[in-house]
Amino acid sequence: MPAKDYAPIDENWLENAGSLWTTPWVDKPSERVIVDPIILSHAASLFRKNAGYFYQNPDEAIRMVCHACELYDVTPVGHYLYADYWGQDYGAEIKIQTNSPPGITKRPIKTAEDVDNFEVMDSDELAKGPTLTTHYKALDTCKEEFPNMFAPITQLGGTMEVATNWAAIEDVFMWMITEPEVVDKLCQKAGDHMVSACKATAERYGANVMITGSVIASGDLMDTEQIKRFSFQPVSRAVRKVLNAGAGPGIYYHLCGNHTDDFQMWKNAPMSPFTIVQIGYDGQNIFPTSKLVEHFGDRCTCFGTVDTKLIDRGTPAQVYEQAKEQVIAGKDSPRGFILGTACECPTNAPPVNVHALVKAAKDHGKYEKF
Amino acid sequence: MDIKITEELNNTLKDNGFKEEEIKEIIANAESSGQKLKARDGDISIAKGGAENLTVYAVYSPSELLDVYTHKMSILGLTGGELNEIDYDDASEWACAKCGEIALERNVDMTYMGVTRPGPGLVCPKCNEYYVSDGVAKTLKTAEAILEEKRA
Repeated sequence: MPAKDYAPIDENWLENAGSLWTTPWVDKPSERVIVDPIILSHAASLFRKNAGYFYQNPDEAIRMVCHACELYDVTPVGHYLYADYWGQDYGAEIKIQTNSPPGITKRPIKTAEDVDNFEVMDSDELAKGPTLTTHYKALDTCKEEFPNMFAPITQLGGTMEVATNWAAIEDVFMWMITEPEVVDKLCQKAGDHMVSACKATAERYGANVMITGSVIASGDLMDTEQIKRFSFQPVSRAVRKVLNAGAGPGIYYHLCGNHTDDFQMWKNAPMSPFTIVQIGYDGQNIFPTSKLVEHFGDRCTCFGTVDTKLIDRGTPAQVYEQAKEQVIAGKDSPRGFILGTACECPTNAPPVNVHALVKAAKDHGKYEKF
Repeated sequence: MDIKITEELNNTLKDNGFKEEEIKEIIANAESSGQKLKARDGDISIAKGGAENLTVYAVYSPSELLDVYTHKMSILGLTGGELNEIDYDDASEWACAKCGEIALERNVDMTYMGVTRPGPGLVCPKCNEYYVSDGVAKTLKTAEAILEEKRA
C-alpha cells in the first residue's frame, strides 16, 4: 500500500510512546516501562501480507511496522532487517521465502583458501551494495514519512553470524575443530566488515545504532571458550573500532539463545552511553530478568525478555504471567529497562499474545523510582 | 616546548572558542607533570585539561599541534568500580607517559545532565587517569546532543 492508504499516526500516541521510549536512555521520568516486541514481518501479517512481501518491499515494510507499533502501543521505532544480511554484497545468492525471512542459498566462501583471499569492502562500497541499498530504502522511508520513529540502525549480528553468512555453517564449525585459525581469520574479517557497515550508516545519517551480539555463538552450539574466541573477542574488537571511528553511539547486544555459561563475559563488552543488553535464554528457560539486572543493571539498559515460543504458541495468560514476572523484576533497573521478546516477534504470532505482553507492562510496569 | 599551530587548526580553535594560549597551557602542564598519553610507536602525545563541564584534549608531536577535541560528559571512574581481568585484548595504542603502563581500553562511567552511563575510555591502570580517543569524542558528541535534546 502506498503511504496515502494508511490512516495517520495519532500524534498524541506518538508523543507519549516517545516519552516512554526515552526514559530508559536519559532517565527522564515517564509513567511505565516501554515494550519492544521486535516487530518485523509480524507487521505484514496484520495487513494480510506475508514475510516474502514484507522483505521484498522495504518501504512498505517500514510503513507496516510503524503502524503496528501504534496498534500495539509499543516502542515507536521503524525496524527493517533480517538475519542473513551481508552475504549478497560478497557474491552470495539469497532466496526470498513466502513465510520466513530471506535465506542465503549459495555462499561466497567455500574453502579455507577463500578465507585468505576474501577482501572486506569499505564503507563506500558497502553503501552501494545490495544489503545497504535495501536497508537504506527502508530507513529513508522511515525518516521521510515517520521522522519521529526513525533510528539509524545497522544490523550486524556478531562475527559468527556474519561469518556463517559468508561460509556454510557446517564448514565453519568443522574448521573450528580442524583449523581454528581459519575461523579466527574469518571472524576478524567479519569484525572489519562490521566496522565498515557502521561507518556507512554513520556517514549517511550522522549517527548509528549497531545491532550486534551473539546468536549462533550460544551455549547450545558452542562451548564457552569457542564463544569467547570466535564471538566475544572479535565482536568486542569490532565495537571498539566502531566507537573509535565515531560511528556510534547506539549499541544493542542481542544475545539470542542460551547464554548460561558465557553471559558474564559480556559485562565487559565495550559500551557507549546508549547500550542495551538482551539475553534470550538461561539453559532451556527464559533468562530471568532478576539475573540480568543483577549483572548488568549498574552498567547499561537491560532488555528483559518473554519467550518467543510463548508469544507464538502460548496462551495470552501464559504470556501475561511471564511478562508480569519479568517486568516487575526489571522495571526499576538503575540504568533503564525495556520489556520485549527473546527474539523477533514470530511472523504469525497471535496478536492477542502481543497485546498480553503490552498489557502486563501497563498493569505491572509502572515506575516506582521516579 | 615550542609547538607550532597551523593556520587551519588555529582557525578551528577560534571557531570552537579556544585560545591558542589555553591549548599551549594544557600541553605545558602535561609536559611538566608527565600526565599524558604517548603513542607506543611514535612521538605523538595526548594531553588533557579543561574545566568541570568540558574536557579538552590536545594531540601533538614534539613540534606541532595536530588536533584538539573535547567532550562534555564527565568521567567518574571505571564502570563496575574495579579493574577486573577481562577476556579480550584491551591494550590500546597508547601508554601513560608518567608510569609507562599501557593504557587499557575499558568502559568508564560518564555523567552528563544528571545521566550516568558507560562509555569507552582509555585508562592508565596504575595512575587511574582516564582519557578518550578523538573518535570516541565524536561518538560522545552525538550522545551529548541526544541528552541535551531529551533532558531539556
